[in-house]
Amino acid sequence: MSENENKDKKEVSVDETENKEPKVYEIGYLLTPKISEEEMPAIYGNLKELLLSLGGKMISDEMPVIIPLAYTMQKTVQNVRNKYNTAYFGWMKFYMDANIAPDLKKKLDLDANIIRFLILKTVKENTIAAKRFMHKDPLRKKFTAKKTGENEEVAPINKEEIDKEIDAMVAV
Amino acid sequence: MKQDYFSANNIKHIDYKDVTILKKFLNPNGKIMSHKRTGVTSKNQRQLALAVKHARFLGLLPFVVK
Repeated sequence: MSENENKDKKEVSVDETENKEPKVYEIGYLLTPKISEEEMPAIYGNLKELLLSLGGKMISDEMPVIIPLAYTMQKTVQNVRNKYNTAYFGWMKFYMDANIAPDLKKKLDLDANIIRFLILKTVKENTIAAKRFMHKDPLRKKFTAKKTGENEEVAPINKEEIDKEIDAMVAV
Repeated sequence: MKQDYFSANNIKHIDYKDVTILKKFLNPNGKIMSHKRTGVTSKNQRQLALAVKHARFLGLLPFVVK
């Protein structure tokens, strides 16, 4: 029994050392559209400060931008049910210790400005690829190029020639 | 045979914020296309499904298109 207990302790200690290494996290969040454009930088700054105060280290981020939501969201704040069709969407990527991450979640839960947020584990490299591949679409091929080619061929046909041919066929 | 879109474009991590890419793998009702239809590798299909679900949660993509 004593051997087993020792083994267990060793495993626990290994886990603890792994947890101490900072991991890369990303938070995506939606802020209420009630915030005016002028107030935005201050609230954005507060979020950054919150991260830094918890021992986070910024990697990259994007300023919140107002976007139309794909569906209506609801959130009750102080017994008032709010509905949202637009929101400010922003994200931040940062290093943080795994044991501190739950504290970050608790603090964000209390923030009345945030409609929703998502904490994900990710990698420090840039993962956005949309800008490079905007024009490529593998599943829906475009046929516009072919159509223009056909039009060019159709254009030079002479009406008089066609009339003559028709007359000739009718005469036969 | 269809080629895997993500390996063809050298995309190693599928990001939930890449809405333009994710939209290509949704059908007109907003459902995620099947593995068979997308021609994406199993590993990437799983990442893709997860990314779509994260994007839906944050209102970047719809759950249903009526």
